Amino acid sequence: MLKDLTPKTAAKKLVSEYSCWLSFILLLILALIVNHNFLRWTNVSNIFVQSSITGLIALGMSMVISTGLIDISVGAQVAIISGLGIEVLNKTNSILIMLLFCLAFGLVIGLINGLLIAKGRMPAMIATLAVQSACRSIINQLGQGGPFSVNSENYDAFRKIAAGGIQLGSFKIPFLMIIFIVASILFHIIMTRTRLGKHIYAVGSNETSARLAGINVDRVKIAVFVITGFMCGLTSFLYSSRVMSVAAASTGNLYEMDAIAAVAIGGTSMNGGKGKIIGTFLGVLMFKMINNMLTMANVPTFLNGAISGAIIIIAVLLQNYQAIRNNGKLG
Amino acid sequence: MLLEMKGIVMEFGPVRAVDNVDFTVHPGEIVGLLGENGAGKSTLMNVLAGTYPPVGGEIFLDGKKVRFNSAKQAMQHGIRFIHQELNLCDDLKVFENLFLAEELRTKFGLLDKKEMIRRSREAFERMKVDIDPEAVVETLQPAEKQLVEIARALLFKCELIIMDEPSTALSTHEIENLFEIMRQLREDGVSFIYISHKMPELFEICDNYSVLRDGRLIASGKFSDTNEHAITELMLGHQLADDSFADKQYRGTEEVVLSVRNLCGANFRNVSFDLHKGEIIAITGLQGSGRDTLADALFGAVTCTSGEVHLNGKHMKNGSPIIRHMKAGIAMVPRARKERGILNTLSIYDNTSMGFLNTKFKGGLINIKEEQKRFERQTKTLKVKTDNPRNPITSLSGGNQQKVILGRWLETEADVLLFDNPTQGIDVGTKYEIYHLILRLAEAGKAIIVFSAEFPEIHKVADSCMVLYKGQVNAVLSREEMSEKLVMYYSTGANLEGEKHA
Repeated sequence: MLKDLTPKTAAKKLVSEYSCWLSFILLLILALIVNHNFLRWTNVSNIFVQSSITGLIALGMSMVISTGLIDISVGAQVAIISGLGIEVLNKTNSILIMLLFCLAFGLVIGLINGLLIAKGRMPAMIATLAVQSACRSIINQLGQGGPFSVNSENYDAFRKIAAGGIQLGSFKIPFLMIIFIVASILFHIIMTRTRLGKHIYAVGSNETSARLAGINVDRVKIAVFVITGFMCGLTSFLYSSRVMSVAAASTGNLYEMDAIAAVAIGGTSMNGGKGKIIGTFLGVLMFKMINNMLTMANVPTFLNGAISGAIIIIAVLLQNYQAIRNNGKLG
Repeated sequence: MLLEMKGIVMEFGPVRAVDNVDFTVHPGEIVGLLGENGAGKSTLMNVLAGTYPPVGGEIFLDGKKVRFNSAKQAMQHGIRFIHQELNLCDDLKVFENLFLAEELRTKFGLLDKKEMIRRSREAFERMKVDIDPEAVVETLQPAEKQLVEIARALLFKCELIIMDEPSTALSTHEIENLFEIMRQLREDGVSFIYISHKMPELFEICDNYSVLRDGRLIASGKFSDTNEHAITELMLGHQLADDSFADKQYRGTEEVVLSVRNLCGANFRNVSFDLHKGEIIAITGLQGSGRDTLADALFGAVTCTSGEVHLNGKHMKNGSPIIRHMKAGIAMVPRARKERGILNTLSIYDNTSMGFLNTKFKGGLINIKEEQKRFERQTKTLKVKTDNPRNPITSLSGGNQQKVILGRWLETEADVLLFDNPTQGIDVGTKYEIYHLILRLAEAGKAIIVFSAEFPEIHKVADSCMVLYKGQVNAVLSREEMSEKLVMYYSTGANLEGEKHA
């Protein structure tokens, strides 16, 4: 594939093709310099566990952004689904019913988003902003200021989902890490090897051309929001198990920013049509690594939003710069 | 104003659109700029008007070297460009469009609407057209939009007006008025560059000609010293290539694949025809004649209001989606390839596979090996020039992009192929390849409709030609009857005008 190219253009191509691996390795080296124990298993698995919550959402967000759209309702979705999910667990004492409830609820919110955007022709930013505000305010009203806490005979069993793992010799592989990796692989397969994946890139590339190639554009748009909703449902279930008590006002705050930031550093084009799941996967890990390093450097957690914002700005500016250099113009 | 362009070079990626062109326009001169589509006319004019800064070469105005980095700078030097495609803001009013970015203001800095409307009215009166300056542009007919575009250039003092096919949507009468204004302005020393494919017009209005071919200036001289035949030969270059289409045989069989009865849509009415296996029909008409919408309607991209379409004997219900049309065996290579054909961020490979994927693919996971086989088969038959199919489709030249789009549709094994303006912006060589491909496909039993406004194209491939005028079939010409003059005659509705006056 590279045989006809001069060494210089080949190198350029490699850099642009694998830029997210490159930045991941650079960041890893930096992390090792700051903390010699960085690659110790407890630290690695810890980073995965911390990443998995936003990571699962970022996978859905990847699809949405590749379609050329955006979903800023994800954080509020997690708040309302986990709050009501815990209520369901407390009432039914069944973890399975809670899981099904969370997934179904996520699907429904995603479907609402999708229908507003595809059939109602609303701009994605406006539709999901409205849904975000509605979800947040409803769960605030239901919570009346107090948290939703797990208060069930299954307390311990439920807690073990996020806290537990598989013991492999002296290594403990957390369930959350496994779920995140498996989900990433599934998303990668969907995006590269299925019709839906090809359609997502096609719609993000050019809606008119996609439609004239026989793609049902509305259905693709609805699908990406439904899938993202489903991922929010799954995340809510896992998040509830991790914290056991969720506050209506603060749960899921800025998750949309974190997810978008991860997708952006992963190299997915904010204009749609271009991007890789492996990029998002690495992006999520990089995002967490940056956060951890800053925490170690005593940067106050209140500044997390500023950091996500800065990461998005830098990553997207770099993408644009690269596009301009390669094509002489944007996109 | 004396304009001299020297050694102009313009490149788009791998394509050299304008290659070392010298071009001069004297004050009070009307120059006809000729060349086939894709010869570099529009690009050269865009360089002059500041849209694209050239890669090489220099521009002199009255002997002074200038460099335009934006359209505004060119305007400030008295150069106006009336574009081929209509660059109007549909939601604004006519006078707002006319003064866009050059709004007149009162001494308090507010918009001086009264004065703008007055001056707009004046311009229209001078052109002898009846357009209300306060009408919203969206409500205008295509011809009126074109007149608004022309009025824009007349409103402000300028010394050089570039007109890129200004007459495509105009009636004979409106063209006469336009020429009258041009002659008046010429008296005042205003010069024009006039781009058109219509020979009679060029001979009527222009003093001198310049011919571009493949981005190079081939010849220039006085119109009075030449004739249509000689000019056409200069434009085409090789007369030989044309001959290979001269003895085209009719390959149609008895079998009707597409039958259309009394089809009516947004801007076409009562269209009926039968398309046979192996037959090539051309459908032509001016901008706004309903040609574009009819193409989309047959493919299911827009809905019709009434009428019947049978595809392979199957009744296509009005409003059934594109995918159902595709599965019933129809394919469309759409017009405006960049905006409606290619998926610009996707690879050549994925662009090709999209047709098969949507119509024939079954099962869950895509089989990469089989996909590769199909891709290789198409690129081989279509002779797509590519070094790596994983590169984005935008790395290819326009002609090769079009072949990829065609390959996409061939994989669906459709029986009816619609080609909507298939050689738009494609270099001459590849154009001929595409014509030959169309002929070969018909020989192989495909039924084909070519939607085009270019007579040379229609003449090369079509067995018969349907001419639309204001949404209705105005004439159906057999291959023997087809001539540029006759097609023009029916496209402009000249036959109906005659009836009206009689």
